[in-house]
Amino acid sequence: MDITLRINGATCTGSPEARTTLADFLRDDLNLTGTHVGCEHGVCGACTVIVDGRAVRSCLMLAVQAAGSEVTTVEGLAPDGEHGGLGPLQQAMWDSHSFQCGFCTPGFVMQATAFLGAHPDADEQQIREALSGNICRCTGYQSIIDGVLLAAQRNRALRNRER
Amino acid sequence: MTAIAAERYTGASIKRSEDPRILTGAGRYVDDIKLPGMLHAAFVRSPLAHARVLSVDVSAALALPGVVAVLTGAELEAMTVPGPDALMALMGWAGPTPQFTLLATDKVRFFGDPVAVVIAESRYLAEDGCDLVEVEYDDLPPVVDAAFALDPGSPPLFANLGDNIARTHSRHEFGDVSATFTNADRVIDFHIDVHRHQNVPMEGRGCVASYDAGLGVMTMHAATQSVHVTRIAVAMRLGMEQDKVRVLAGDIGGSFGLKIGASREELAVAAASRAIGQPVKWVEDRGENLTASGQAREESFDVRAAVSNDGDLLGLDVQMVVDTGAYPGMGAMVPDIMEAMLPGPYKLAAMGFESTGAITNKAPYVAYRGPWASETFVRERVLNLIAKDLGLDPVEIRLRNVAPRTDPPAVMVTGRPLAGVTSKESLERVAELMDFPAFRRRQAQARAQGRYLGIGVATFIEAAPGPRSPEGPSGPMGLESMRLRLEEDGIVALFTGQMPHGQSHQTTLAQIAADEFGVPFEQVRVVVGDSDVVPFGLTGGSRSATMTGGVALHGARQLKAKVLDFAAHLMEASAQDLLITDGNVWVRGDPASAISVTEVAERAASGQFGADVDAELEVQATFDGGEGGWSGGTHCAIVDVDTETGIVKVERYVAVEDCGALINPAVVEGQIRGGVAQGIGAVLLERSAYGEDGSFQSATFMDYLMPTACDIPRIEIEHLETVPLDADVNFRGVGEGGMIVAPPTIVNAIEDALSPFGVRIYEQHLPPARILELIAEADPGQ
Repeated sequence: MDITLRINGATCTGSPEARTTLADFLRDDLNLTGTHVGCEHGVCGACTVIVDGRAVRSCLMLAVQAAGSEVTTVEGLAPDGEHGGLGPLQQAMWDSHSFQCGFCTPGFVMQATAFLGAHPDADEQQIREALSGNICRCTGYQSIIDGVLLAAQRNRALRNRER
Repeated sequence: MTAIAAERYTGASIKRSEDPRILTGAGRYVDDIKLPGMLHAAFVRSPLAHARVLSVDVSAALALPGVVAVLTGAELEAMTVPGPDALMALMGWAGPTPQFTLLATDKVRFFGDPVAVVIAESRYLAEDGCDLVEVEYDDLPPVVDAAFALDPGSPPLFANLGDNIARTHSRHEFGDVSATFTNADRVIDFHIDVHRHQNVPMEGRGCVASYDAGLGVMTMHAATQSVHVTRIAVAMRLGMEQDKVRVLAGDIGGSFGLKIGASREELAVAAASRAIGQPVKWVEDRGENLTASGQAREESFDVRAAVSNDGDLLGLDVQMVVDTGAYPGMGAMVPDIMEAMLPGPYKLAAMGFESTGAITNKAPYVAYRGPWASETFVRERVLNLIAKDLGLDPVEIRLRNVAPRTDPPAVMVTGRPLAGVTSKESLERVAELMDFPAFRRRQAQARAQGRYLGIGVATFIEAAPGPRSPEGPSGPMGLESMRLRLEEDGIVALFTGQMPHGQSHQTTLAQIAADEFGVPFEQVRVVVGDSDVVPFGLTGGSRSATMTGGVALHGARQLKAKVLDFAAHLMEASAQDLLITDGNVWVRGDPASAISVTEVAERAASGQFGADVDAELEVQATFDGGEGGWSGGTHCAIVDVDTETGIVKVERYVAVEDCGALINPAVVEGQIRGGVAQGIGAVLLERSAYGEDGSFQSATFMDYLMPTACDIPRIEIEHLETVPLDADVNFRGVGEGGMIVAPPTIVNAIEDALSPFGVRIYEQHLPPARILELIAEADPGQ
């Protein structure tokens, strides 16, 4: 089935089979391998991408369902004109030693991006709850939570300065 | 040149060089590899625990457009070499050795056992093909537990063994066991069970195998803890010469002991690529990972403890049975480590240890972070049970029994010296941090309000690498190798057989080498993941901090000496007068003389020097572990048990750890927290569950529950760095300790919380339903 959608700001077309998941479409057809597949049943959150502003598990969504949508993957977070550069959340996660093996990372980054966008003043418990649908086997989560808290704090400082 | 800085990276939480690629989705995991003409594999798996395979009909699958080949167990048997688990063969295992094939041929031996492999143009089509393979089975009685497996009447899983014994019963005694038990004031005995649970890395197993028929070379893109062990396993099972196998690995999404060597499926994929002549990819899905990748820990212990009325643990006598699952490997070997480690840091006078391994119709027992951890669980439970009997405090009984630090060091009853062990210090520090009297007051107040708080303590030591013993000329963990080279562009390249999968070696080894050589951190590159390029090595056993950190230090020192010898020609100075700091070589006392390391490297590569000048700026270094030493520590948890729902909340968790000198504190603390999280998950959530018919019942994340950000508390960590044993290398491994000691810490805390009900706990898995049962079954009179 032919579909057109916007991915990371660019218009893309493709012809996935009806049964192809959005995750497989992104990875296999578009070579956007930053989106990882961790469980294929919607529990681990590794495949999280942002579709029309909301965090979505791309293993549970069919590619054809994303037709006409605006999709952001981890590859789309680089600041303008900085290929491979880190956005503020990614920078805060680097500074916080958030991750180890990195497999769950894109999912956490996308989930936290969507959550912080909607809840810039979230506290630790709210962040824990927002990320509790993403599984990390390496870190015990604290470093990830710290990274998100640091990003939120820096963002607040920036907003206060602009005010 | 005005300032030549002497910056020190080792000991600082340097930001990881792995992170920019990982955070941007630019990491390269095995599933990200695409090769021209690459096909995809999916496995037909057994829906029965134990059955004869009567027939496999692949015709309908082969007829499906897009399916390229279907290989049955028999076909794969004809093109590969059957044998035991590759790791067992490598470790020189001398016990019962079942011979088996990559895919099931005559019979299936566990729910999920691979029977055939479908190779197709996409994974979707390969799975469609699997649905069309018709396998006819004839049920056999499933051997679902160790007790039945040890019954001589149980049907043997393997034809070349007459029974289901993976490890023949053995008994060893240390000290005078009989006299110790005869003379003890009291002997207590009980049975302890540890449940089956598993590694569950977020990335499962997987590989892309690509056979070049012209060259006769197999290239395996693998997710592995060692490219060399994988290479050996592929060569062994495919009947190839090792130099015709090249194993490559990129980023790896965790392992925790699972990805050592090559699994039966990965070897089958390699054989399929060779048979078909095209690259083949297989990446397991989560169902396969939970069902068939392997599981760990199902062990039971009959324990007798000889105790004095004052609370001295005088002796232990333990009978252990391990359920190795089908296709035994690590499970058969693990009791040896448990036996050696069971005394821990305590001054036992005597110990008896018996062990038996049972083959059952379950997924194979694999190594999982601290594979011998159950010895710590048993010992730290024993101490609490004794303390309870005698009315002693849990810290008090441990301080009473821990061996004092003496010169020469006390020796474990099983033989190893406790050199530099700081268990006593860690216990004392935990007692200070937790303020037990204040907690007991709070606990009493909470109980009066119907809230059940508990505190638990447990202590461990880990041979990471372990102490040097006089009779061990090759050091505590054998030798670790590294090739180091000053590249033409001035980069100091370290080639290591370590295969990081979360451990941050590309950061930590660079820190050490940068300091020792004298270049900025960014000027060191750590090369991993190519069996043609890196020396032999394995990431596992918490070995890399000491062994690889050590060889990086000594290797950088050797390379530096070589570079200075060469630079001495350039600078017309004596090598002894030259220094390297901050990427520059200079004559001591004359900063203006400085030239950059890069310039030295360029000159060496220029070919302008005669044969009398050694311009080959490369060394091959080895390290034997030096004086070695122990890691260890004491953990403490406070839990809040809801006696209505059975839900346990970990309110506070404190770890006081000693892993010697820290290379990168943030990396160390990540290892500790991750291990503790797995230990908390093991106790409160995780279980690899089998039904009475041997069916697997936890094949999704709805059934196999993983800890989330809401289950794991902030983990407070303090480091003890008290006892340097070696002149240069006092980094010690820290990867496994959290997972080793967290389960007894949590269980001890839960038992303490439930003490008003008289609950005694002799098991490790305590989900809410089990907590409620324990309360209901308990005798409050105890």
